[in-house]
Amino acid sequence: MNLATHAPILAIAVPLLGAFALPLWGKLHRYLRDLWLLLVGGFTAAMAVLLSARVFTAGIQVYTLGAASPGETVASGGFPIRIVLAVDALGAFMALITVLVAVVALVYARRYLAEEEGKTLALTLGTLLWAGMLGMALTGDLFNFFVFFEVTSIAACGLIGYRTWAARGPEAAFKTMVMYTAGGLFVLLATAILYGEYGGLNLAYLAAQIRGTSVDRIALGLLVGGLLMKVGAVPLHMWAPDAYGEAPAQSVILLVANTQVALYALFRVLFTLYGGVADPAVGWLVVALGALTVIVAALMAVVQTDLGRLVAFGAVSQIGYMLLGVGVGLTVIGARPAFGLVAIQGGIFHMLNDAAAIGLLFLAVGAVEKAAGGRDLAGLGGLGHDLKWTTGFFLLGSLALAGIPPLNGFASKLMIYESAFRLSPILTALAILASILLLAVFLRAFQGVFLGPRLKPATPVPPPMLVAMGILALGVVALGLFPEFFVRHLVTPAAEALWQGRDAYLRAVLGG
Amino acid sequence: MRLLTGEGYWNPLVWLAAAIGVVLLTAFVWTRGRRDYKRGTEQDLPFLSGEKMDGAHVGGQHLYWGFVEGLRPYVERLRAFHTGFVGDYMAWLVLMLGAVFLIVLLGG
Amino acid sequence: MIGNTPFVVCMVLVALGLWALLFRRNLIKIVIGLKLIENGVNLFLVATGYVRQGVVPIYTYAPKDATMVLPTPQALTLTSIVIGLATTALILAFVVVIHRHQGTLDAGKVTELKG
Repeated sequence: MNLATHAPILAIAVPLLGAFALPLWGKLHRYLRDLWLLLVGGFTAAMAVLLSARVFTAGIQVYTLGAASPGETVASGGFPIRIVLAVDALGAFMALITVLVAVVALVYARRYLAEEEGKTLALTLGTLLWAGMLGMALTGDLFNFFVFFEVTSIAACGLIGYRTWAARGPEAAFKTMVMYTAGGLFVLLATAILYGEYGGLNLAYLAAQIRGTSVDRIALGLLVGGLLMKVGAVPLHMWAPDAYGEAPAQSVILLVANTQVALYALFRVLFTLYGGVADPAVGWLVVALGALTVIVAALMAVVQTDLGRLVAFGAVSQIGYMLLGVGVGLTVIGARPAFGLVAIQGGIFHMLNDAAAIGLLFLAVGAVEKAAGGRDLAGLGGLGHDLKWTTGFFLLGSLALAGIPPLNGFASKLMIYESAFRLSPILTALAILASILLLAVFLRAFQGVFLGPRLKPATPVPPPMLVAMGILALGVVALGLFPEFFVRHLVTPAAEALWQGRDAYLRAVLGG
Repeated sequence: MRLLTGEGYWNPLVWLAAAIGVVLLTAFVWTRGRRDYKRGTEQDLPFLSGEKMDGAHVGGQHLYWGFVEGLRPYVERLRAFHTGFVGDYMAWLVLMLGAVFLIVLLGG
Repeated sequence: MIGNTPFVVCMVLVALGLWALLFRRNLIKIVIGLKLIENGVNLFLVATGYVRQGVVPIYTYAPKDATMVLPTPQALTLTSIVIGLATTALILAFVVVIHRHQGTLDAGKVTELKG
């Protein structure tokens, strides 16, 4: 059995089954549980990286579940009847982001979570969330996407609210679960409408059949509405500060990656599924929502006093940059000017940069919470005397998020600014204004928490947490100093998959 | 190692070289300063409204006061929308869905 | 002869569920609204599979050369019902914990996280 051809399904199945086996090992002994987690995590990461390497070198990978051979997508009747996993460059890019985030989260959780506070539960839910994210990123079937959408919703809300000794976590989890479930049901309704109209569930098959009738447009509206809900675009973002603020720190970065995979799904729907009937109005909608998200979230972050909610509003704002970048590309896709491709490249590059920078910030906030016992700005001060590494990581993350050269945020934001300027100068003005606001917010938080006289001695941060933050900080610096390398090898194939890759995708799945 | 952005290019290594030059210039200016400053003595106690106090601490929520107060009218109007009530969140979803339907069905 | 009536009924169910989600303050009633939306969508799924004069799609039970209704939506609906079971159990567990801490089920009072 050739492991590389079966990599797509192994990357989803192994963490799924491994997550359910984890509590059983945990009942025996916790070292067995840690060893099992290491094996499962390592194997999943290896499968995802192997798959991405194959996609970037050999083209779109297709895997049919339950067929005699993986490439046998089209059945004897002439259309696909089995679940097909179709991985193009953008799906492989998202899989790589989830691998980075999940590996860092698992290293961080080794010492961040206390044993008696449900560590096994958190690790199980985290691995399940990783499996669901990989499923959403690799699938080529609309109903399969809905199933993994719900898997990630359940795992994410479980992670937000499992600490039931306080009331805030379950309250945030309740609100997030209601919003996620409502969004998921709209996606299911759209799937039902499309199935009733065309008789198929495969993304490529539907993309070839969609003609732009009003029933199709209703389905598009439902899909966009449900996915915008999960992405956290203003005004549907209100679950995000609650969720990111109340979840334990290692799961917040998994939640951020989950939101980015939902953003990938939105792009898949807009560019591939409805790419044949694209009209600029939807592009302008995405651009307007992106600009609105960027500025509203930055404004809301100014008056927050809880460090976790402050960084959470920063995370919501960065999603707006990604929407803005790719929305500019969607608006001009009819005429294909060169700045559209640059805009999409900027948006997709910003996904990777944001995962690293916001991940670093959330992990630093978790370290502060563990060292000082609280997260409120009023009670924190002078932590820079004791937590030197954490101070450096927080400063690095803040500068990267605000887009200060030479870090990675600047590289992707520059691409977004310059291409959005060609569409409308107001967008660039709003985006730069939000960057300045976020810089002020984070410098204020940095000075208040880390500088100044020492208030009370802080417990030292355990080394695995520092190692996890160090991995992300290394990523931030490497992406910032050598952006051209990453853009040429990782981002441009992914952007081309959206910009002109629709025909290649249809050909790969439906066979010519 | 230049990132081409369509309008121009961005080369972080050139920026880094320029930044190192600026840092060297700053270090040169710093060495021309006073030499009688000792850390850890009463010279570096916090200075608050005319008095030197040990342990004076301005909490994070009071910093950048002018900046925050200048933005407060806009932000308070936005904060009024974030009620924390699930029905309001769902109302935004329904409104957004209506707006999306309007744009998608009429904007073709 | 029934035309589009099943689909209209399902949309009415979804609208009722949305109305309960928007305008009811009791947390349990909000969950019931969510379930109403889900039931409407599941019925919609099953209704898309109807073939006129079709029989139950059991391969060994139907007479030879009979038209069967489409079986795929029925499989999709089964999956969706199981997912709905899991989400409802999780949401209700959170409602129980919220009630244990706050002592109330009024959504207007469970607003500790705001602003």
